Amino acid sequence: MITLFSTLLVILIIAGGFVAVFSKKLLSSVISMGLVSLGVSGLFFFLQAPDVAITEAAIGAGLSTAIFIIAMKKIQKGETSDDE
Amino acid sequence: MMNDVTIVKKIFAIFVVGILMIGFFMAFTQMPKANAVNVNDTVSRFYVMKDVDQATQMLDKGTYFNKNMVPLRNDVPYTPITFGKSANLEDGAANVVTSIVVDYRGFDTLGEVTVLFLAASGVMLVLHGEKRKVQKKKTPPSEIMYVGTRIAFAVIFLFGIYVFIHGHLTPGGGFPGGAIIASGILGLFLGKQGYSPNKAGLTIFESLSGMAYVIIGIIGLVAEHSFLANFLPTGTIGDLFSAGFIALIYIAIGMKVGSELSAVTNAMITDTEED
Repeated sequence: MITLFSTLLVILIIAGGFVAVFSKKLLSSVISMGLVSLGVSGLFFFLQAPDVAITEAAIGAGLSTAIFIIAMKKIQKGETSDDE
Repeated sequence: MMNDVTIVKKIFAIFVVGILMIGFFMAFTQMPKANAVNVNDTVSRFYVMKDVDQATQMLDKGTYFNKNMVPLRNDVPYTPITFGKSANLEDGAANVVTSIVVDYRGFDTLGEVTVLFLAASGVMLVLHGEKRKVQKKKTPPSEIMYVGTRIAFAVIFLFGIYVFIHGHLTPGGGFPGGAIIASGILGLFLGKQGYSPNKAGLTIFESLSGMAYVIIGIIGLVAEHSFLANFLPTGTIGDLFSAGFIALIYIAIGMKVGSELSAVTNAMITDTEED
């Protein structure tokens, strides 16, 4: 059961990584990176490392995604004002 | 009025510097006694392996986990550890990761906290978090969002505090607890347009909790002749009041990381909202 679930998680992580690399939109890249972090934290949980899983879920999936989105918003504003 | 404030500030600064100097010199006067620490008194026999070959042999023969193994030292009795009963252990933390991260490798954790502090101060240096003209051009968050984020913040804040207070019992600790608190504060930013936390409060809180970590280390240096040594009784394994100073240090780390990351998100968001 755990093997099946972790296989699904690994497939999810690889798919998220491919989306993050090959996507044209920055926003979907950032969100799929958050998804990768969530999958990795689930994998850590199955590998008997709940401490690392909690840290990864809080920082990787929560805070760093939000900070990436804020920074992206800021950069895009600068670009549009330069183009105009 | 201004003079009084500056005089009070100066007196306070001299007071703090004096206390730090006294601690510093006390540490130096106590330093020669550090040689007097007998490792055999504080370390269980599993840690007193003679060399790698011996340990490998013991693992190969299967005598390492055997109750009838030949003890390296006869003066330490073999007692199996039972949860909720064993008392006065070498390090009473039920969470093994915490006992390594905070107790045996406490100095590494101090360095880790310093790295995070430097990263946060770099962000603060670049983005001051000053709020310039905030034009309310977008649709403000709805009432449901406002109330919902407030309720969620209470629950998230409580969960973060639980994670770092129970760091020595359950998985978690200071860093994830602080990150959870900071993500709760991020939710408050989403809920209300133009929300700004008390920046000075965050800074003071962060500095005080960072100082608390070093002061706990110096107390260990004075009391136990080693920096960041456990100077409190370890208690019964599994109790809330156990594992000595691990809970204290994790509370300090949790408050520090939480206020630091909140200040970083505050700097980034309020700088984004300009114009």
